[in-house]
Amino acid sequence: MKDFKYIWVVGLFFTLALIIVPIVIFIPGDEVSAEDPWDSVPVHAPHTDHSDLMQGVYETGSDVTRACLECHEDAAWQIMQTVHWTWESEPYEIEGRDEPVTIGKKTSLNNFCIGIQSNWPGCTSCHAGYGWEDADFDFSNAENVDCLVCHDNSGLYVKGNAGYPVEGVDLEAVAQGVGAPNRDNCGSCHFVGGGGNGVKHGDLDAHLSHPPESVDVHMGRHDFLCIDCHQATDHVIRGRSISVSLDFENQAYCTDCHAEDLHEDERLNAHVSAVACQTCHIPEGAVKDPTKMLWDWSAAGQDIEEDEHTYLKIKGAFVYESDFTPEYYWYAGIRDRYLLGDTIDPSISTNMNPPDGDIGNPDALIFPFKVHRAKQPYDTVYNYLLQPKTVGEGGYWTEFDWEQALQLGSEVVGMEFSGEYDFADTEMYWPISHMVAPAGRALNCADCHAEGGRLDWLALGYDGDPIEWGNRFQEGLVSE
Amino acid sequence: MQRITNYLKSKPWINIASISLLVILVMGGVVVGRAAAARAAGPAPVQASPIHPTFPLLDDQGENVLDSGGAVSTMNTCGACHDTDFIEGHSFHAKAGLDDFNAPGEAPNSRPWDLSPGIFGKWTPFFYRYLSPESDERLDLGTASWIMSLGERHVGGGPAVYSRDGERLDQIEVRPGDPETQVLDMETGEVVPWDWQESGVVEMNCFLCHTSEPNNEARVEALKQGSFKWANTATLLDSGIVQSISDRYVWSPGAFDDDGNLRSEYVKIQDPQNENCGLCHGLVHDDLSGPLTVVGCSPQRFRTVTTGQIISSQRLSDTGMNLANKDELSRTWDIHAERLLDCTDCHFSLNDPVYFREDESTQPEHLSFDPRRLELGEYLYQPLHQFARGESAQSTVAPGLKDTMRRCESCHTIESSHEWLPYQERHIKALSCETCHIPQMYSNALKQQDWTVLTLDSEPSGQCRGVLGDVQSTAALVVGFEPVWLPRMNVDGQEEIAPFNMVSSWFWVSENPERPVRLIDLEAAWFDENDYHADILRLFDQDGDGELGREELVIDSAEKETLIAGRLEDLGLENPHIKGEIQPYSINHTVTTGEWVIKDCQVCHSDTSRVTQPFLLAAYMPGGVMPEFVADSNTVFNGDLYTEESGELFYQPSTEEQGLYVLGLDNSIWADRLGGFAFLGVLLGIAIHGGVRVIDSMRKPRPKPEVKSVYMYGVYERLWHWLQTVVIVALLATGLIIHKPDIFGIFSFRYVVLVHNVLAAILLVNAVLALFYHVTSGEIRQFIPRPRGFFDQAITQATYYLRGVFRRERHPFEKKPQKKLNPLQQITYFGILNVLLPLQGLTGILIWGAQRWPRIVSGLGGLPFLGTIHSLSAWLFAAFIVLHVYLTTTGSTPLADIKAMIMGWEEIEVHEPEEEEASL
Repeated sequence: MKDFKYIWVVGLFFTLALIIVPIVIFIPGDEVSAEDPWDSVPVHAPHTDHSDLMQGVYETGSDVTRACLECHEDAAWQIMQTVHWTWESEPYEIEGRDEPVTIGKKTSLNNFCIGIQSNWPGCTSCHAGYGWEDADFDFSNAENVDCLVCHDNSGLYVKGNAGYPVEGVDLEAVAQGVGAPNRDNCGSCHFVGGGGNGVKHGDLDAHLSHPPESVDVHMGRHDFLCIDCHQATDHVIRGRSISVSLDFENQAYCTDCHAEDLHEDERLNAHVSAVACQTCHIPEGAVKDPTKMLWDWSAAGQDIEEDEHTYLKIKGAFVYESDFTPEYYWYAGIRDRYLLGDTIDPSISTNMNPPDGDIGNPDALIFPFKVHRAKQPYDTVYNYLLQPKTVGEGGYWTEFDWEQALQLGSEVVGMEFSGEYDFADTEMYWPISHMVAPAGRALNCADCHAEGGRLDWLALGYDGDPIEWGNRFQEGLVSE
Repeated sequence: MQRITNYLKSKPWINIASISLLVILVMGGVVVGRAAAARAAGPAPVQASPIHPTFPLLDDQGENVLDSGGAVSTMNTCGACHDTDFIEGHSFHAKAGLDDFNAPGEAPNSRPWDLSPGIFGKWTPFFYRYLSPESDERLDLGTASWIMSLGERHVGGGPAVYSRDGERLDQIEVRPGDPETQVLDMETGEVVPWDWQESGVVEMNCFLCHTSEPNNEARVEALKQGSFKWANTATLLDSGIVQSISDRYVWSPGAFDDDGNLRSEYVKIQDPQNENCGLCHGLVHDDLSGPLTVVGCSPQRFRTVTTGQIISSQRLSDTGMNLANKDELSRTWDIHAERLLDCTDCHFSLNDPVYFREDESTQPEHLSFDPRRLELGEYLYQPLHQFARGESAQSTVAPGLKDTMRRCESCHTIESSHEWLPYQERHIKALSCETCHIPQMYSNALKQQDWTVLTLDSEPSGQCRGVLGDVQSTAALVVGFEPVWLPRMNVDGQEEIAPFNMVSSWFWVSENPERPVRLIDLEAAWFDENDYHADILRLFDQDGDGELGREELVIDSAEKETLIAGRLEDLGLENPHIKGEIQPYSINHTVTTGEWVIKDCQVCHSDTSRVTQPFLLAAYMPGGVMPEFVADSNTVFNGDLYTEESGELFYQPSTEEQGLYVLGLDNSIWADRLGGFAFLGVLLGIAIHGGVRVIDSMRKPRPKPEVKSVYMYGVYERLWHWLQTVVIVALLATGLIIHKPDIFGIFSFRYVVLVHNVLAAILLVNAVLALFYHVTSGEIRQFIPRPRGFFDQAITQATYYLRGVFRRERHPFEKKPQKKLNPLQQITYFGILNVLLPLQGLTGILIWGAQRWPRIVSGLGGLPFLGTIHSLSAWLFAAFIVLHVYLTTTGSTPLADIKAMIMGWEEIEVHEPEEEEASL
């Protein structure tokens, strides 16, 4: 020891250790910080400028698609496996039905424009393909795939009937301006579903193109693109809509990025087992532009003053609402879906896509919904909803003759039409997941628990306000 | 067709059957239709209280009001099942000080003219009118006029029914000069008798608190009109039970059933909700949909105007008020309102079996909970309307019930949520929860009231704090204010800092004993017909527009004061002069949580600490009169009252007076100066000494002396030395940051304190182990100076340092492993290791232990003394280190000694044997 030349190194190390170790042991560290949600947000691939790559003469959309496929060989094939192309789901087994069923825009009815069958050219302007004019569309032809509707970043691309680009679109400019899908790409169809801005979903409208953070905190404050949550692998896009899906496979969830118990307040974290994130964090739907809440087809055909938000001769009378308070129901998935041919009870409102869930289901959460109510035509003899022909020759929008329209439509879908029709009440449930408000504007205790609050405890299955009665697990309402 | 009729005619029974069937169908249709209509009409109105039975409404004679058409008597009506005499007799809401009525100024700490500790008898500049004592020559408020004006904030019963002698007001005779039976007519100035028979009395109003939509406006209107007995009836107006037709109250027969009882759908009896309490106490906004709007310093809601407190679960950013930075204010007004607590959850009835708990002082130790309590039925029969209350500064009524309510600790456990706070117990002892959890008021509140002047509406001139611009306009910017932190003496004798608002008032007083000048006299002094008196206009109207604006309506000169005083004297008032008063108002509501709470140490631990932040009391002092603090609040005023050049009056709390020592704020200046002086002195000294040595050696390089290598310091010695070095230097550094957190704001105060403590612990362990080593090995002998010849040797050594070094003389004493320290070193280290280090450590331990052993610490002088010693010692340590390091350069070579302390081997000068003898 006496002669050890590097004794001072040992000494230094030992001295510092004697000081640092106790400090580290006794100084309380900060609470383990929650996982950073940004870790789960995908990093966008760098943009490749296609101006030099896509020079050429493009007469039709398919010309562009062929050019795309020269490099992106699998892209079309990938799209063709997905619902954006097929407009039809995989077969589902549903309780109460003998055979597996497929649903989707291809064949299902809704309570907006009702259905696409017999109306293809008008409806398929939102199809990710070209030329779906009738029932004989070739779903196997890769060149019919429309790459541009999702990938056009120039803003110059507009689709028209049967999905073809409209006259006057400069396809070369569009083809050169392609890139990753931005909000306007998805929004070119999804913001205007149902026939106009913000009509259908209640939480998607043109304002989300460049929203302020008060409208949607992800798209506004952080400039999120749709594809940041609805991530796509091989063109299979995450996300499930209650109207055309019956499962939650490949569903996008808040918890994909956010930890479930991320609230600092314990009391708020305790809500997570019964209340969905959306319920508190989306206090109002249709924050700026109004959405359609009621559509009365039976009033159509009259020559009275028209207004986009109250009455159109071709469609009937509507009620629009903005800043609407959602309705709240238990939701664990879809229970069932109205299919063509299902009988209805015309004396009550037909629920076309009832959300599955009740207080006893431990997986069900209280979810906010936009409920769209409508009166649409049904066959009074057979008691089922009818598919009218609205677009094209003989369609209601030109002839204003319901009997003819319903006859033509029924022929196309292969259903019997007795000739006698009336209008039945229907409702559809649209869960609200967009237009997330900034955290400071989330609902607080009084919004649900005070007198006059948003939740009807008895209707939800509780005995009373859980603050006083205990939550559903304590009350023994949950079946294991 | 013919065949059918023939067939029917042939079978008569078919006719009967079909007709019967038709009739049945029709009737069924009617029934179904009715049911459908009933469904369509909506469900029957839900009774608010499903188990409260129906009952008749009785008048004060006991008759059903339907028969007599008289006013409802709550005592008789509710008294049929509840013991209303007991309720009224045991309620400070009703009594309002009547039970503690006394002669003016008799109560301790009260003003010379106050008559009771409650709103019946305690004067407040807010309402200004003075409830006159008996035989008051200048009658201001008689009992009846008290009910008409202040009665809106009184629930009835108590002084509204009984006289000061305990008789019923409607049964006493009119006596001249008796304020109970006479009132001052403000129009004529005459004293007129009051007809109690006609007006009736105001019984305790059960409906006000116990129905869901009491009509308070109608009730207040009835009181103001003097129709006292109808006030309780008016509360039910617009509920469907009673209507007002041509200024008369008419009972609606439709609300009663055939037995004369109220129909069940009209029985809307309930527990008091926040809205009920808010009718008198403060602004409550429970409406989920409507935004809250407050305009002006509205005096209708007393607690809101005096403090700015608003009870609402609404987010500030959702209100309809023009708040500064509103978009960022996503917090709610009050977290407890947000979490849906009711007022009665904390301010419960004291014998409510749900909330009742035995007082700690009487609860036996072996019990943590005693389940024996009043049965619900017994409680409902005799509910004590004495409500649990806190320890507010301004409310002196029912002092025996102070601090009966739930405090924060009754529901919240602080330890788990405040783990991040160092010195938790100390903070909790010195600060009330409200201090950090109510850091900011967001609405405006009253700042000063000037009754020395009058507006043409007979109102005082007043100023609000927390609002910029015209306070009456919705466009005014509401900036809110930070409450002032004052020490509050709790009921249990503890003193804690709590947030307050303070309102300063100035008013004229006269006579001896003093009393405030009556409003009617003020009006006579100021007004002439419908405008100001000409003399006043002449003197006060500066811009010559014939009107007196807010800025002009100020007594800011001796001339103006003399004018008004003179006019008051002309009315016969003796010695009118201006008096000023400062009243603190406790702030306990509008609590917040999370990011809005004070968590930043430097809010208090810095030079700009909020603890001593000055608070603006008034923009000006009328008549230049310095106001005094009220004497009966539980707040301690030991700070500084001063005025700025602008005339603004400020109050600055003082930590020293409160016995507080706030690290980072309360540094002892003289300790810093003395210590700093010592430090700088040492620095200067060695600069000179070293400088001379350097210059000297450059001029004449010193010949290298003959040296030998000696193993001077063992491993443990070196470890002990260097550990001590690093730790002490780190302690000095962290200590400096704690001492001056403003300069070193970049560091986290909290972490630095914790690191400092850990280092101190390491030092302590190191010192104890080293002491053990030195004692057991005998090395300690080296540190003990030998008394014989000590001084001579010390002087020799000193002389060497001061002279010998420059003359290149040899060290007078050879350094040997058995004797490493020269006498000067011995005495210095003796002092350092046995005096300074223990002193520093001890004061440090006591500072740290101030929360564990508060009595010992305060017995030893408390933090102000300990902190000072600690700081001074730190300076001396710093000075020592500088000196010590320098002196190590006086070895055989400048680095020889330091190398020795690192490696152990030292190059020692070889001493001749003769010189050796001189050493021992």
